[in-house]
Amino acid sequence: MAIKHLSPELLNERRKQAVKLRLDGHTVAVASQQTGLSAPTVSAAWKAFREGGWAAVPVKPRGRLKGQANVLGTDVQALLWQALYQEPRNSLLHLAPGWSSAGLAEWLSTQHGVVLSQRAIEHWWEAQGLKHKPWKLEYLTNSHLANNYLAKQRSQEGRWFRSAVAPVFTKLKDADQRWQGGVRRVARPSGSVYQIYLHGPRGRLLMRCFKKPPKAQDYLAVFDALNSSGAAALVFHGALLSASPEVTDWLAQQPAFWLVPVPADFTLTI
Amino acid sequence: MTSLTHLQRLEAESIQIMREVVAEAENPVMLYSVGKDSAVMLHLARKAFAPGPPPFPLLHVDTRWKFRAMYEFRDKMAEEIGMDLLVHINPEGIEKDINPFTHGSAIHTDVMKTEGLKQALDKYGFDAAFGGARRDEEKSRAKERVFSFRSAQHRWDPKNQRPELWKLYNTRKNPKESIRVFPISNWTELDIWQYIHLQNIPIVPLYYSAERPVVERDGALIMVDDERMPLESGEVPMMRKVRFRTLGCYPLTGAVESEADTLPAIIQEMLLTKTSERQGRVIDHDSAASMEKKKQEGYF
Repeated sequence: MAIKHLSPELLNERRKQAVKLRLDGHTVAVASQQTGLSAPTVSAAWKAFREGGWAAVPVKPRGRLKGQANVLGTDVQALLWQALYQEPRNSLLHLAPGWSSAGLAEWLSTQHGVVLSQRAIEHWWEAQGLKHKPWKLEYLTNSHLANNYLAKQRSQEGRWFRSAVAPVFTKLKDADQRWQGGVRRVARPSGSVYQIYLHGPRGRLLMRCFKKPPKAQDYLAVFDALNSSGAAALVFHGALLSASPEVTDWLAQQPAFWLVPVPADFTLTI
Repeated sequence: MTSLTHLQRLEAESIQIMREVVAEAENPVMLYSVGKDSAVMLHLARKAFAPGPPPFPLLHVDTRWKFRAMYEFRDKMAEEIGMDLLVHINPEGIEKDINPFTHGSAIHTDVMKTEGLKQALDKYGFDAAFGGARRDEEKSRAKERVFSFRSAQHRWDPKNQRPELWKLYNTRKNPKESIRVFPISNWTELDIWQYIHLQNIPIVPLYYSAERPVVERDGALIMVDDERMPLESGEVPMMRKVRFRTLGCYPLTGAVESEADTLPAIIQEMLLTKTSERQGRVIDHDSAASMEKKKQEGYF
């Protein structure tokens, strides 16, 4: 394996091994041959050992330390929160089921003249605990990855998928019509944030935030926008929507929109 | 000589109290609220009188508003242990359809719990009733003696309590007076959990964390346990990972957000907590010193 592909742990192990060989009297060439490290690396490890002992042999951690990233200014963060609490818009600033990173970047640019990349927004989501990861609900049958997915699992979750989700998903040939989402509370030092998240095709994450638990009209606004955008099935977790007469009435009027609730306490593999 | 652990000392004390009551009282009963303290008390009673069953029945003063899981657990336990289970519901409460929503928590508790308990004690003529109250739960319970004497009208006089020096209990009472006995008064919530874990005592699953449908009411997370729970306009219950530290009537019992789904995890959580479990009970916040007032009127 080429040295640049070694993990830091393995590289450190081999550097220590190279130093031991040098201590045993072997040449740089032999140490290099036995450890798979290059001769300059063996020499560098040996030099580090002579100057700083065993503690100096491991390489320094790669990359930037956590918390040293460029942090968005408080004014930009306030704007992002302001947007997330508002009605969501897509990148063309039309009403959308939720805010995407593209939509937020566009809104910041056009409304406030702030240029921020989608990647920066997604990093900020992650730092705020807003980046929810999708479950492996794709209905793969022929792929070698199929066993990792719920469709193949012999668990309660797998049985639920086969009986409740698969029949709906198989009816929809277009992947753009299959969505998953949910609602959750995100605990923050400044107070709770209630987030409705949606995962569209190809890992697209959309979201909307609330200061109080969302009401039926908030869910319906999301479902309506999803329905208008062509989504036909939504696997939803985190709310007892069957208890809301407004939601059940709306669903009864949408025969082409399937809402599949995720049962409580299901551990869906991420 | 091996010394007893603190749990063994507490266990021995509780067993001694139970045997003392059975020796002195004419018609004792054990109040069974289906919670964790009742579970421990029942376990202690079975130990105290083994190999036979405890020589008294269980009494559940029902309000019709307990969690469904509690009713299932109560019936299962009664069947398993083979003890008599008496269930009393205040008939006046049924007739007037007293409930926590339209009548409020204070009236509901007074009619369905306090009056219901007094009716049941009078109906069956019980002169001693075991209760699972603990001193660490609430300040009025902290000052109540293990043997708490009640007048013929079931009233408690906190200023007239008998000394219990060296664990010597004076059980003499006048005709029609009764005693409420609290064998686990000196236990803490942590002791209860440790004992449950140690003795593998079955408890209602609501004590373990799970995703449950809840709504927020005045800062408390109230579980939507059945269709009788009225939702506010547009309100949608959220599924949150919660558990209960205390169990009562479901509309009056707040859940806590928790990931503790095993007994060791609950014990670990208990070690870090700084609040009383009774903070989850809406009825305790009705007014200042409301628990003491309720106790004076005959609440358990």
